[in-house]
Order: sequence, then structure tokens, then C-alpha cells
Amino acid sequence: MTDTAVAPKNAEALAAANKKYEWGFATEVEQEFAPKGLNEDTVRYISAKKGEPEWMLDWRLKAFRLWQTMEAPDWAKLNVPPIDYQDAYYYAEPKQKKTIASLDELDPEIRRTYEKLGIPIAEQEVLAGVEGARKVAVDAVFDSVSVATTFRKELEAAGVIFRSISEAIREYPDLVRRWLGKVVPQRDNYFATLNSAVFSDGTFVYVPEGVRCPMELSTYFRINAENTGQFERTLIVADKGAYVSYLEGCTAPMRDENQLHAAVVELVALDDAEIKYSTVQNWYPGDENGVGGIYNFVTKRALCQGRNSKVSWTQVETGSAITWKYPSCVLNGENSVGEFYSVAVTNGRQQADTGTKMIHNGKGSRSTIVSKGISAGRSDNTYRGLVRVAPGAEGVRNFTQCDSLLLGDQCGAHTVPYIEVRNPSAQIEHEATTSKISEDQMFYAMQRGLDQEAAVALIVNGFAREVLQQLPMEFAVEAQKLLGISLEGSVG
Amino acid sequence: MTQLPTNRMEAWRWTDLAALEAARATVRGGVPAIEGLWIEGDGPRLVFRDGEFQLDLSTPGEVSIEPIAPVTAHPLGSATAGTGWRLTLDAERAVTGIQIVHVATGNENHLPGLIELGRDAVASVVETFVGNGWTNRLTTIRLAEGARLMRSVRLLQASGFVSLREEAEIGQAASLASVFLGAGGASSRVDGELVVAGDGGFAEMGGALLTRGEQRQECAVTVRHAALDGASRQIWRAVAADRSAVSLAARVDVARGAQKTDGEQSLRGLLLHRTATVNLKPELEIFADDVKCAHGATVGELDRQALFYLQSRGLPEGPAKAMLTRAFVADAIDRIGEDAVREAFAADAEAWLSEAL
Repeated sequence: MTDTAVAPKNAEALAAANKKYEWGFATEVEQEFAPKGLNEDTVRYISAKKGEPEWMLDWRLKAFRLWQTMEAPDWAKLNVPPIDYQDAYYYAEPKQKKTIASLDELDPEIRRTYEKLGIPIAEQEVLAGVEGARKVAVDAVFDSVSVATTFRKELEAAGVIFRSISEAIREYPDLVRRWLGKVVPQRDNYFATLNSAVFSDGTFVYVPEGVRCPMELSTYFRINAENTGQFERTLIVADKGAYVSYLEGCTAPMRDENQLHAAVVELVALDDAEIKYSTVQNWYPGDENGVGGIYNFVTKRALCQGRNSKVSWTQVETGSAITWKYPSCVLNGENSVGEFYSVAVTNGRQQADTGTKMIHNGKGSRSTIVSKGISAGRSDNTYRGLVRVAPGAEGVRNFTQCDSLLLGDQCGAHTVPYIEVRNPSAQIEHEATTSKISEDQMFYAMQRGLDQEAAVALIVNGFAREVLQQLPMEFAVEAQKLLGISLEGSVG
Repeated sequence: MTQLPTNRMEAWRWTDLAALEAARATVRGGVPAIEGLWIEGDGPRLVFRDGEFQLDLSTPGEVSIEPIAPVTAHPLGSATAGTGWRLTLDAERAVTGIQIVHVATGNENHLPGLIELGRDAVASVVETFVGNGWTNRLTTIRLAEGARLMRSVRLLQASGFVSLREEAEIGQAASLASVFLGAGGASSRVDGELVVAGDGGFAEMGGALLTRGEQRQECAVTVRHAALDGASRQIWRAVAADRSAVSLAARVDVARGAQKTDGEQSLRGLLLHRTATVNLKPELEIFADDVKCAHGATVGELDRQALFYLQSRGLPEGPAKAMLTRAFVADAIDRIGEDAVREAFAADAEAWLSEAL
């Protein structure tokens, strides 16, 4: 590419970069708030609001007391402004709260929000009752409370429990109590402990022995009320021989103040069970100066407890001002399998420190890590990973590949892999590369008639292909578009 | 001295600080023999006993002994301030075959070193550590345009702890190549920060760390590219037997604007027993977009196929294993350019391997 060709493209790219956040909007629905601030009373308020049993309140209080003694972690390559935990609301729910059979009965305001969220057509068809449409169950988390759950009946027929976690605590206390906090204990880390104390709502899934969940389960998170930290809690248990695929996706409205999101996701896979957990994350990343934007401090962990169990994490991370997220697998079961496929895109002034941990305790356990980091603008993108092999874990295999792509010379790409091996029979391989989009690639694509942005999107999608392939169909299309949108204006 | 670091600090989480404390608490005792340690050659020879220069055993040549006030923020390196050794060469001078033997008899000893090479100057320095106790060193290296330094360091202390800190600034088209061999009984930490400050500079730091018993050795090296067209190589090999542990942490930083950097890291670990540990951390921190930085890291046991191949050619299992292990270690040691030094290092590694295998 010659300089003369670049100049007008730069102007074009600049115009694209100045485009406002397409999905930035806020819906005005009356909300009920817990008083601002965080103390034991807030925890009690939340628990009481949800009509929780005594043991749950005790569990929350224990976490809250622990949290008060902890310090926020600072080891990540992130520049996190100090967070005033007292200057936030810890509970907000839409006032009209009634159980409804279908989304048609929903508040039209909320319906419009869903439309702007871009719920896939297939899903809207299903919602409209179109014959033969692929079924996807939606547990819509509107702010903190599940407003509607569709397809419950079909799931119930299969024996699958798919509830908001508050409902599950009321309806299946024994099941929840057995697994809650078993994967991510209350004292796990600062943000997980905070979540344990004040988690607002989330999802509970239980797939019984031998059941293959008849549809993909999906949830749409949405941070809506100003100044409301959102603390989702997700717990998925796949009993022996069960299979479930869970999709999580989100966008968020434009805000000036930083919003904290500290979710916890716990997965449990027993013998021969398989869980596939896919995430597309597109929260508001802040404006061009990095003002606003979501803080995404998430703890996601899977326990592959049973023999031959398998957990696969796939994530496409394009949003959030700051991301701190390490979906991990504890591979306790013999021949258990952990997978992590990730595309993380940072643009503007975004910061992402993300990766995975694969803890191999079981004999013959295997893991695959494929991480693709794309940095543009003035952003920083870090892969941080751990592969640990316990002394008793014979025949462990791990393959790690982390590739970074830099767009522009003002961004950063970092790789911090830890490998700790205590068994000689392990085979651990780690590869990493750092590259940029070459002028030859651009020239070729543009010479075929693509404009600059389409060319970048094409090359980036190719770079991330191995990960995108892992996504369920509905998500793959959305994710590809998202990558293109996220990088608009980043190459000139 | 300043506060010792703790394992709670991210950069020191794998360090055997307990061994350091234990080594420090020992009392000074017998002096090990050093005659066999000299490598053939007529370059300057220096002996330090517990950090004190031994004039009667030395022919220092161009190396001077003088007070050195190192400028460092390193917690262990900063403890070395005092009298140390200094090699300053003017432009286009060449002094090769400098050998320094550090003998420790127990307790702790600290010593700073300074190497300054003028434009196009050339030097090679071999350092050998023997004895017991805690030996702490800081070596500051400054290379002017086109200067070349070859550094080879053997850690042969029988017990105790050796901590080395290297701080180098590499000028335009200058080259620093350093190889470390840990084949003694002491725990160690080889800590380095090499800055490629001039365009087209080259930095290499690598080596082989061999551990057995309860020993723990580690390297923690950062190469920082601050200029254009720089290249760096970090090739480390770890062999851990018994209940020992080797940790290799190597990092490449590419500063904003340090385009066309070519950084390569290769960290490989070999576990000889199921109780041994190898930790690896190949780290990249990149702020420029037109760079080539790759790293490879592997841990495991010997390749079964290679072992089978050798056995099928009539080699018994023991010698076959030894041959493959030797080849594994040789990747790092063969980087030494001077034949006599390379052979001496290979012999030390060989001695270790024949005892461990």
C-alpha cells in the first residue's frame, strides 16, 4: 500500500472511529433500589427481597465478612481506577414483577430493549411461534431479576432444571446448596467474594443423568440502571452422561460513570458429562477517551469432577473498559478434558487481562488452549494463563497457542503464561506468536474490491477462525459482525 | 542490607528463599580447591574468596579492583555496593579469556562487577562459582557502539545459594551473549535485565539449569528492546531430578517504537523423576506492531520415539537416555563461541549427568 492510498482511507477510518456506540441506549423502566452503599444491612436487604432461606443469608454474610478483610488484586496488567464500593447500588429490580408465559406479555419498553439488543432472528421467530424454527431457550436477565423464562415446559419434560438462581434457591434448595460455592468458594478472590455476598440473580441449570439438553440455553445480560453494579451468579451442573450447551451474550447502554460487573460462573461436570459454555461480550467500552465503560471482573471456573467429563469455554470478548477474566478448568476426573477458545479484541483505551487456568489433577486429563488477542487503538491486551500438572496426574497433555495481532503502533499485546509441571509423563506444549496485518494481505484483499474495513474484518476473522468455529451457529454470525464493528476505524 | 524479597512477590514466587536464609546462616569453613577450574588460556585470572580479591592467586591484567557504587533498584543487587572488579576497555581494544573464580566458604558474601566496553571493543569473561554459603553478585554491563561481550558463567557451588543479577545496556549494533550453567549442588537465582538501547543491538541470555535432591534453581530474565532492529535470544534448558525444581521465567519487552524487533524465547524442561518440578513462564510484553516475537515452551520427559529409535539401534536404555539428555542440555551450552570454554562447560554438564542418570 502506498502512502497516497492511505491518506483518504485514514479520513474514512477516522470518521468510522468517531461513530458513537451503536448499542448505547438506556431504557427507562421504574426500578426499585436497595439503599446506596454496602454493609451487612444491604446484604440482608437483598436476601430478604429475594425471600431467601436462612442458610443462604448466612452464606452471604459469611462472604461479606470475608470480603471486608480482603484486598483488591493488583497483579494484572491493568490500570484500574479506585472503585468506591459505597457509592453504588447493589440491588435494583424492575417494579412490575409478575410471572408471564411469553415475551409478548412483557413491558413493551423491555421488548424494545430486546430488539435493540439484537436477539437473533431465529430466536425472534421462535418467540413469534414460527414453525420449524430452531429452539433456543431464553432466560432473560433484565438487570438483576429474571423477568421471563420461555420453553420451561419443554425443558421440564426432559427433566432439565433451568431457573433463575433465586427461584432455584427456593424450589431446589438441596441441589443449590450442594453445589453453590463448591467450584468458586466464598473466599476465592476479592471479586468472587463480593459476588457471594451481594449476588443479585443469575441462572441455575441442572441436567439430570443421561440427558442431552434438547436446546441451547441462553441468557442475555443487560446492565440497565445507572450506577448499579451487577453481580450475576451462574451455576450449571451436568450430572452423569449429561450434555448442555449454554450461551451468554450481552450489550450495555452508554454511561458516563464506571459500572462494576463482578459475576461468578460455576460449572460442574460429573462422569461422562459435557458442558459447552459460550460467551459473546460486548459491553460498553467507554468513549474515545476511555470515560465510562464497564469493569468486567468475572470469576468463571469449571470442575471436571467425573471421569471423561468435558468442559469447553469459548469466549468472544469485544466490550468492557477493563476485563479481568480467567475461565478455568479444574480437571479432577480421569481422562477429563478442558478447552478454552478465546478471542479478545481491545480498541480505544480498553484494557483486557484474560486467559485461563488448566489445573490437571486427574490421570490422562487433557486440555487445549487457543487464545487470539487483537489490540488496536491505544488499548492493552494481555493473555495470562496457567497450566499446572499435579504429581499424581499421569499422562497429562496440554496444548497452548496464544497469538497476538497488533493493529497500529499505540497498542500493546502481552503474554504471561505460567507452566508448572510436577509429573514427568506430562506433555506440555506452548506456542505464541505476535504479528500485524501485513501490507501484502491488505493489498490483496483490497485489490479484490474490498474496502479497507472489510479487508481488516476479513483478515481478523481469519485470524480468529479457530475460535469462532467453536461457537454455536447463532453466536458465530453475531461474533463475526462484532469483530468487524469493534475494529472499525482502527487501521489506517 | 535492604529487606529480602518474599515468595508473596510475583517476581519471586518460585525463588528458594529458604535456602538463601539457610546458606546465610552457615559459618565460614574450609576452602575448596580451585586448581582444576582454570580453562586453558593465558588471559587475566582473578580469584575472589568470600568476595575478597586474592592478589597472590591472581593475574588481573586489564581488570582493576576498585570501589563500585552500582545504580540499581534490585533488592539483592543493591546489597553488593563496595569494592569490586572492573573491566573498562577503550575503543577497538580486545581482551579475551578473562577468568574469574569466586570461592565461598560459608555465610554470605557480596561483590559488584562492572564491564564497560568502548566502541568496537571485544571481551570475553568466564566466571566460576564454587564453595558454600550465600554468594550474591551484581554485574553491570555497558556496551558502546559495536562492542561485543561474551560471558559464560558456571554455578558449581556445592551447597548454599548463588544469586546473580545482571544489568546490561547494549548500544548500537553491540552484542552481548551470555550463557549460564547451573550444575552444582547450590540453589540459585539468575536474574537479569538486558536493555537493547541502540539500534541493531543483540542480546542473548540463556543456559542450562540442572537440579537434583532438594535443590531449586531459577532464572528470571527480562530483555527490553528500546530501539529499532534489535534481536534477542533466550534459550534455556531445565533438567530436574529427585525432588528438585527448576523455574525458568524469561520476558521480552518491546517498547513503543522499537519496530523490527526479533525476539525469540525457547524454554524447555525435562523431568527425570516424578517428584521433580519444572515451572516455565515465557512472557511477552509488546508495544510495537512491526515485530517478530515468538516463544516456545515445553515440559515433559524424553521423547519416547527418539528413545525407541536409539534402542532399536542397539543402545541400552541407560546410555540412550543419557545421550538424549546430553543433547537436550547441549542446545543451550553450544551457544558458547569459544571452543575451550564450551568444552569445559560441556564437561561440567557431563559430570552432573553421569551422576544423576
